[in-house]
Amino acid sequence: MNPKITDEALADLPLHHGRADLLEEIMRTPTLDDRPIRAERPRRRTTWLVPVAAASVVAALAVGSAWWATGGSGGDGADSGVASQPTGADVRDRVVLDAPGWVVAAAYADGQSGEMTYEKGRDRFDVSWYPADQYDSYVEDRRHVVEPPADGEPVTVLELGAQMWAYSATDHTAIREVEGGRWFELRGSGMDEAGYRALLTSLRFVDQAEFDALLPGSFVTGSERSATIDEILDGIADVAHPLLPAGVARSSIDSDQSDDYQLGAEVAGAVACAWLDEYADATRAGDERRAQRAAGVLTSAQDWPVLDDMNARGDYPEVIWEYADQVVAGKVPEGYAGGLGCDR
Amino acid sequence: MSDGRDESFRRLYAEHFDAVLGFAVRRTDRTEDAADVTADTFLVAWRRLAHVPAGVETRPWLYGVARRVLANHRRGDRRRTHLGQRLRRELAAALPDVSDEVVQRADVTAAMQRLSARDQEVLELHLWEGLEPREIAEVLGLTTVVVRPRLSRARARLRDLLGNDPEPPGHHPSRHPQLARKEQP
Repeated sequence: MNPKITDEALADLPLHHGRADLLEEIMRTPTLDDRPIRAERPRRRTTWLVPVAAASVVAALAVGSAWWATGGSGGDGADSGVASQPTGADVRDRVVLDAPGWVVAAAYADGQSGEMTYEKGRDRFDVSWYPADQYDSYVEDRRHVVEPPADGEPVTVLELGAQMWAYSATDHTAIREVEGGRWFELRGSGMDEAGYRALLTSLRFVDQAEFDALLPGSFVTGSERSATIDEILDGIADVAHPLLPAGVARSSIDSDQSDDYQLGAEVAGAVACAWLDEYADATRAGDERRAQRAAGVLTSAQDWPVLDDMNARGDYPEVIWEYADQVVAGKVPEGYAGGLGCDR
Repeated sequence: MSDGRDESFRRLYAEHFDAVLGFAVRRTDRTEDAADVTADTFLVAWRRLAHVPAGVETRPWLYGVARRVLANHRRGDRRRTHLGQRLRRELAAALPDVSDEVVQRADVTAAMQRLSARDQEVLELHLWEGLEPREIAEVLGLTTVVVRPRLSRARARLRDLLGNDPEPPGHHPSRHPQLARKEQP
């Protein structure tokens, strides 16, 4: 096996000619950038989804300060967890950073955890939340931020204890104790410790309506998620005839992803997987007509609008297109299920 | 226009060649495979230069490409190109002489091999490439929320096996131009 050599050691190896030759060889090959890409189309605004399920997690993680102040867990003394916590539109259960100049730049949430990223110029502040059972492992991990490993400096965040560590003079993180079955991590980069501490005091609780209002126009709420999936499938259906092979229901295609790239990958991937499966089955069965139809639909992937939208931001479309090319060449792509996440 | 394109690619190649080759060398058994993965990775970057993210996001993007190229190689799809013949020869001659300056000790390598493939990959990106969870997420096409606990668990398992917690040794993050800071897909 090759040694686990460092990049620095590699840089000192006598590879100069090979390195220079490779550069020139590559630059003599044709490029693909002439193919129309999204830069030539009006780019749809990035859509970040905050699914309903995720919103309820937000609700669960940080039931408002008023609720905490009244004893929180419902009087039985036990950690009531997510399900028994008060929910509702008027509960001040979302956490936001409320400081001048800071805006939401990105959001992610799944069923258990999530993250909101705020930016101000080049500075950044992340509010992440996780289920209680991950608290110990995260704290242990962060203890190793410093050498030798140590507990963080005690700080108070939203009226509860937290530990703070410094990755550097301008990069700090704090983990807040578990409350209501959830805990937060708050990471600030770009500002010094005083600036970071000031931001910790600028966190506050809001209700659903205020939370939604604070999201920029590029965010859509969870209620729009199924419409987004429909829109993606409609776009594919415009060029893929039929949209899905017999036996695969459109309603079976779903995703709980919270950003549009990942959502697009799962939805487009599900369609591609269905047709690749169809092609593989037809080939195995020697059914030439079925195989040709599957190949025809996969060829249309070049024109699936969702892949075009995604193309500038990642390589998932390339993977689908490469598999489609292999099908057109008469080959069942090896390992496609793993490559596309068909077995997710 | 094409001069600007050429210049951009030359700069990208100069800045990231060692990192991409290192990524490939550390994950392949044969030097020729490492050279091939490097050649194919930069070929993708050349052909899709308009899509390569700028600044600190470039390197995780390249690692992501290299990872897919490597997976193709492992599936038997070797040498889509015939580029880099000289690099193959030079690397084959030079690499066996390197016995120190490795990113981790042999006992760590042995312990890592006892982890699941998924844990291994996350740890390798952390320990060998010195990546933060958000960068690892970028390389793997996952979200940070998924990667962080995975890395944390993988480190804990490695700690259990080793009795200590290896940091990226022999690796100097300062040579990585400000890796980090990207969250989305």
